[in-house]
Amino acid sequence: MPQTTIYVAPRLAGTLGTIPPAVATVELARLFGRSAALAGVSLTVEMGRTVALLGPNGAGKTTLLRILATAIRPSYGSLSIDGIDALRDAERVRGRVVYLSHATAHYDDLTAEENLRFAATMFGWGEREGQPVVREALATVDLLGAGERVRTFSAGMRKRLALARLLVARPSLLLLDEPHAALDAEGMALVDRLIGLWKEAGVTVMIASHQAERVSSLADATVRLEGGLLAEVSGVGAAAGPVGASQRRGIAVVGLDR
Amino acid sequence: MSDLRRGLTVAVAIARKDAISELRGRQAAGSTLFFAAIVLLLFGFALGPDSQRLAEAAPGLLWLAIVFGGLLTMARLHQLEADDGAFEQLALYPVDRRAIYAGKALAGAAAMLVLGGLLLPVVAILYGIPIGAAWLPLLAVVVLGAIGFAAIGTAYAGLTVRMRAREVMLPLLMLPIVAPLLLAAVKATVAALGGDPLGELGSWLQLLVAFDVIMLVVGAGTYGFLLED
Repeated sequence: MPQTTIYVAPRLAGTLGTIPPAVATVELARLFGRSAALAGVSLTVEMGRTVALLGPNGAGKTTLLRILATAIRPSYGSLSIDGIDALRDAERVRGRVVYLSHATAHYDDLTAEENLRFAATMFGWGEREGQPVVREALATVDLLGAGERVRTFSAGMRKRLALARLLVARPSLLLLDEPHAALDAEGMALVDRLIGLWKEAGVTVMIASHQAERVSSLADATVRLEGGLLAEVSGVGAAAGPVGASQRRGIAVVGLDR
Repeated sequence: MSDLRRGLTVAVAIARKDAISELRGRQAAGSTLFFAAIVLLLFGFALGPDSQRLAEAAPGLLWLAIVFGGLLTMARLHQLEADDGAFEQLALYPVDRRAIYAGKALAGAAAMLVLGGLLLPVVAILYGIPIGAAWLPLLAVVVLGAIGFAAIGTAYAGLTVRMRAREVMLPLLMLPIVAPLLLAAVKATVAALGGDPLGELGSWLQLLVAFDVIMLVVGAGTYGFLLED
């Protein structure tokens, strides 16, 4: 198995030396036209925790992740990442958050290595220092020898390359939207292994998935969304059930709306 | 790494990535050139065989062909980002949005320069105008025109890339804004080809420079908002 180095953003200290939560949302809502994809979610996740986001289609999982990634702005509510107000200082937040979306976001006429070298530059690696990082990431996802253009890749290969892009980033918070989708058994095992490595490195990981059993086994806690609202919270240190305000070690969920 | 150096590195990386994609997707780039050349040929048919009339109209027709071809080029450079959700990923990288704009505009200007440079001899052959003696001022006009067009085109292509009717919206929004650039570029081309007897070439070039600077500043300032949801 190739060596995999995990790069992590430096931790930020909060006021009076306390460690701010990785994610803190208050009444987060997002409307698309008249429809509310997210209808008021208040959620706090401590640094270094792994959280599985579950729920049926249209529950608001992807919308929540996209708001946390600063890809879209909420219609209402507030949001901080590592203690940084994400609505006011999105650029700083983007230096700490990395998002794996449904779309693999590659350039079809570039090779896997060219795509990854571009991503490495965008994540702040210099030409020379980035080279071994890119090659190691490609080796980890078993694409080191793939010299052809991404246009010719299968869906699984594209997904592996998207995973490699996460490895050249330096996240503090990792947002994974259906990370196992389009992958074969070996690829899914790779995702599980990588999540384990990020977890060990202290990266906060939020995983939206329909594979409830699989991601629940990887996570410290599970959060179930339904109709854009928090429906259930369970797992290590999580507040379970529809309570008004609850905070325990690990993950704290505040202000359940149901 | 200083902010400026980091911004330059990012801009060059984006422009290089776009250039590689353009060169490898030769069919699309070649089609644009072919389209612009066909436009020139059809204008020639429309104006008839009068060689003096053709020569008089040549500067205007050249720039119209560059504008039409440029619209396709600008749309295509942003379509690269729209495919497979790359535009959203580009917006999520921890980089200054002005650097992203600079990279896209640099790629656009280079593509426009190639387009203009290749269309010049086509115009010379089709409309029978001698460009040999005026190549240096003509090159200056094409360079300044390419920068100005890319400066506006990058901003508008960024605005329209996520629209459903982007093929219609891009020219609809961009053509009115590009009119002053078109006017200055045509006048400067006329002056360059005519040997600049009235000494007005310098003024038109200055106008092009001013237009480029204003559009680059406005584009860099607004592009970040276009990347937002």
